[in-house]
Amino acid sequence: MFTIGIDVGGTYTDLVATDETGRTVFAKSPSTPADQSIGVMAGLEELARRIGVTRAAMLAATDRLVHGTTVATNALLERKGARVALLTTEGHRDVVEMREGLKPDRYDLRTPPPEPLVPRERRFGVRERLKADGSASIPLDATALDAAIADVRRSDATSVAVCFLHAYLNPVHELAAVERLANELPGVSVSRSSDVLPQIKEYERVSTTIVNAYVAPTVQRYLANLERSLIEAGFAGSLFVVLSHGGMAPVEEASRLAAGTVLSGPAGGISGSRRCADLLGIPDLVPFDMGGTSTDISLISDGVASLSADGMLAGQRIALRSLDIASIAAGGGSIASVDGGRTLRVGPESAGSVPGPACYGNGGLAATVTDANVVLGYLDARAFMGGARPLDRAASEAAVDRIAAALDLSRIEAAAGIYKMINLKMADGIRLTTLRRGVDPRKFALLSFGGAAGMHAAEVARELEIRRIIVPTVASVLSAWGMLTSDLRYEVSRTHYGTGRISADEVRGLFAALEKQAAGRLRGWFKGDIAIERSAEMRYGEQVFEIDVLLGDVDLNAPDLVADIEERFHRRHEELYTYASRGQEVVFVNARVAAVGKVARRAGDAAAVSSTAPCAPRGRRQAWFGAWREVPVYGLDDLRPGQSLDGPAIIEAETTTVLVDIGDRVTVNGLGWLDITLR
Amino acid sequence: MSVKIDPITRSVVQHRLSSIVREMGEAMLRTSYSQILNSSRDFSLGICDTSGRLIAQADHIPVHVGALPWATLAVEQRFKDVAPGDVILLNDPYQGGSHLPDLTAFVPVFDGDKRLLWTIVRAHQSDIGGATHGAYNPAATEIYQEGIRIPPIKLYEAGKPREDLLDLLALNIRNPREFRGDLAAMLGAAHLGERRVAKLFSEFGTETVEAAIEAILDATEQQTRVVVSTWKDGVFHGEALLDDDGHGRTDIRISAKVTKTGSDIEVDLTGSDPQSTSFVNSSHANMQAAVAMAFAYLIDADIPKNTGALRPLKVVAKQGTIVWADPGRPVTLCTSHPSNEIVEAIIKAMSASCPDRVMGGWGRRFRIAIQGEDPRNSRNFIWHMFQARPGGGASPGGDGYSSIGEWHSVGGLKFGSIEVAEVRFPLHFRQHEFRPDSGGDGQHRGGLGVALDMVLETAKPAKGNTAGDGARHGPCGMLGGRDGAPHHYRLLSEGREPRVLKTKEVGIELRPGDCLEIRSSGGGGWGPPEQRSVEARARDAAQGLVSKAV
Repeated sequence: MFTIGIDVGGTYTDLVATDETGRTVFAKSPSTPADQSIGVMAGLEELARRIGVTRAAMLAATDRLVHGTTVATNALLERKGARVALLTTEGHRDVVEMREGLKPDRYDLRTPPPEPLVPRERRFGVRERLKADGSASIPLDATALDAAIADVRRSDATSVAVCFLHAYLNPVHELAAVERLANELPGVSVSRSSDVLPQIKEYERVSTTIVNAYVAPTVQRYLANLERSLIEAGFAGSLFVVLSHGGMAPVEEASRLAAGTVLSGPAGGISGSRRCADLLGIPDLVPFDMGGTSTDISLISDGVASLSADGMLAGQRIALRSLDIASIAAGGGSIASVDGGRTLRVGPESAGSVPGPACYGNGGLAATVTDANVVLGYLDARAFMGGARPLDRAASEAAVDRIAAALDLSRIEAAAGIYKMINLKMADGIRLTTLRRGVDPRKFALLSFGGAAGMHAAEVARELEIRRIIVPTVASVLSAWGMLTSDLRYEVSRTHYGTGRISADEVRGLFAALEKQAAGRLRGWFKGDIAIERSAEMRYGEQVFEIDVLLGDVDLNAPDLVADIEERFHRRHEELYTYASRGQEVVFVNARVAAVGKVARRAGDAAAVSSTAPCAPRGRRQAWFGAWREVPVYGLDDLRPGQSLDGPAIIEAETTTVLVDIGDRVTVNGLGWLDITLR
Repeated sequence: MSVKIDPITRSVVQHRLSSIVREMGEAMLRTSYSQILNSSRDFSLGICDTSGRLIAQADHIPVHVGALPWATLAVEQRFKDVAPGDVILLNDPYQGGSHLPDLTAFVPVFDGDKRLLWTIVRAHQSDIGGATHGAYNPAATEIYQEGIRIPPIKLYEAGKPREDLLDLLALNIRNPREFRGDLAAMLGAAHLGERRVAKLFSEFGTETVEAAIEAILDATEQQTRVVVSTWKDGVFHGEALLDDDGHGRTDIRISAKVTKTGSDIEVDLTGSDPQSTSFVNSSHANMQAAVAMAFAYLIDADIPKNTGALRPLKVVAKQGTIVWADPGRPVTLCTSHPSNEIVEAIIKAMSASCPDRVMGGWGRRFRIAIQGEDPRNSRNFIWHMFQARPGGGASPGGDGYSSIGEWHSVGGLKFGSIEVAEVRFPLHFRQHEFRPDSGGDGQHRGGLGVALDMVLETAKPAKGNTAGDGARHGPCGMLGGRDGAPHHYRLLSEGREPRVLKTKEVGIELRPGDCLEIRSSGGGGWGPPEQRSVEARARDAAQGLVSKAV
């Protein structure tokens, strides 16, 4: 039987299949943004060809297909989602447009406000009101509800978000409104806040519910199409979708919580990273995925990828827990410029893939990071994409010369400056990510993947005092490969209401109810063993930001349960922010439970054949290592486990280039991956 | 300084420094206790050198930032013997502070035994002692009635906290627990910055970093001058009016004469009215900060806001006027008023020099603080209103932001969740929506203020204070745009006539069940209303942002 992972990216759809013997086959196929399922089906064809069977035969022998999709992401980024209307508490219909009174970029007073996903004319107030303790001070007014539904009908909305104040405590008004909507407007998609995010804080809840309403119809349509195409092509197994929190869920769940798929793509990269951590026995990794326009940074700490609810995408607040991925606008396409103070800047503007860097020869004139890499000799202009797409070195030089002239520098100094600035920016992104999680990056190893990462990893690592870099051979399809090992996951949470200290019975009651709900739901999809993960969000009395405290091994029946939980909070606060205030009141805000269904692992990757022979370079070329040096160039495919080499050197593969700095040492590990120790 | 600095090293050091202040801000946001800091973000971070030059700052509250150099100078003047591990604290407006609630902590950064920089955290305390809770005392006629004054003091000596001083401060503040928590957060953030800056020194070498700092300031100055030199030369006048001082004076004038020559700007505020007996006076540092803030809004948003950017700017003012009060005068309102009016007067003057950069007036601050007892747990509470943010001004770029804030905060103050407020305070927010018709008309419309109806759900009477301005004068329209609607707050109490709340009242009696009917101001419009497009007007009507056909 096969397990297949499919990751749809902006340019390529990556596919990986594995079977019981541990045999692993990769395929790449162009993505088809208009309907991603076309590219997926074509990719499956290619994958079957590489395995040496027909697509139908392969699919018939596949029990699990795990899919990372960017359908929701793109709908949000390109503003191509549903026409959404909002039903909300009367007198509070502007919450989403008020954005809590905040505006990005403090000193920019000349950019007008962004358009909300739901404009005011489609936000309808309904007479009803719950109090802070969940009791109704104004019962849901049936006449007002019908009037609002009539307004929704007139607005031609195709999807409706329902969000009432304090519904996280008591969903009764929302449920009644949803029922009425289903009767009155049967064709319209409905998202309910007490279902999507049953948590206190109305801005986050309404914004997340609106995003869900906005992407749900598109996601549902896509997944239904894909499932139909797969079945027609002979697939009889289960289709799972990777969610933003890194777990996977069946199509029905991804359709319900469509806002939970916005990071489906990069989440696969983290699954892949976690698997790398596992295989390598390195529990602390910084996955560093540098592509053309952006770099995704996350953290694997103690083998666990951290989750956060601070998410924001395309200007929309999405407060669902998702893998903590910081996406920074820095990549190979980032454009260098010189401002009025003669200061060099790199990014955030990007040349993208069209026109792309100057060296692509598509009319791009701006100097990009890729152009600097060509000038510095890191990228071999002739061998780019295996020689299929040679680069125009002269164009890179001309572009970099313009920057050099503006700064009164030589060409090489300007190129080295661009290289330095982009590295700094990425190191900065890692530093802020680690600070937010209260960890010290120095004990981590950098996991380098994505097309451009290998050329920058060493400098970025050095900037952070990281001493070790791993470059897996699966770097170019890491996300799809990671999906093969995703677990099933279903998360629920509940806000605790109370003005005093929580009692042990309340804690037990909260978790018992959540565990029953989570495990019950997961049981519907999964027959194997279910593990429960518990955590709580807590804060000091007067703080507003909660921190997430894992309660994995807490004994819920212990007599000093609350003291134990509070002590864990104090310790976590100390880890994160250097101090704890043990005399202060601790507030228990949200209880969280994840039910996790561990899928059976296939055999590990087959080990490559080792060799003790010295590495033989394929050639030599000039590259800039503080001065021009003629350095050896190795083929990644030629390197065998057991071999090692010292920098300066360049290691090339079809889709990536790895720079080995002076004094750094590369060892090829048992999997054939590069393990680089920095000097 | 003999080290020659290349543009790349300069960029690298600049990037590092701004990343350090960002990190400090992240730490502060997540660790502070009081609602005013962790939710409303009323704090700022900076790095200054020993001559008081601002080297880097994080974009938080603009009116704090321009004041930090003056605070640093006061510290330098007071202490010649700063040692590693010292922490210095101050708030006194006559010794480097802006107003008493803004507490500022300084941590020195050394390279060996050479002291080079300060990492600085300024944060607004939710109480600072004095005659009224929450620091704002409209009745004050002397600074002694506004709270505890802290000249530059060493709170830590060589790494050892002065617990006696800490006790003295906490004893003078109404909520010592919160105060201590916030102070711990401030020091944590400043120390984080110190560690990171020290690492920068050790990595690049002190001489290189020092040379890079000079180059950063020079480059920023150059960048700013390039922008300013494109504006029209001349002498320009603008003025703005404060409603009143709460002690009988009305229409207090802030007058700006701006002389623009080449890439230099001189702002002369000497024509402003004499100082007041009440807290609407500005301290000197705050006046400087307000002028810097106006200038920062006119230059490009992406120019670093450091001392270099302010070099083309010269400020002239006279002590004894409303913008620069004599020692001992009350000043608590100054970070909002007259700061907002100083900014508005300067922007108005500049509308003739750089019309494609000026914007309509942003809202003014009209705050309410309520002190009472929560019947659910019999605890005392102090609530500060951050909801009902006023509208922002329209600009050449388009309509203004609604519900966004004042000139001095411009979308940097977050109002917390209403659900959380209802859980934590005995308050019921019946309505909190955009206030139709409040945005100033114009080719581009000012942003809308907010209509808030809030019911007090205490069992016993509570007390309210107000502090602010802008109930008579709305934010100004620019280049033909109309003014935004002024604030209009009323107290609705059963069995009594509705009462319009004044902007400077102390000890307002609030009875259980009373409703505060808050209507916050809209922003000023930009450009002539005749030029507003038919589509834009139709959309305003469809969205209910304007109620009447125009």
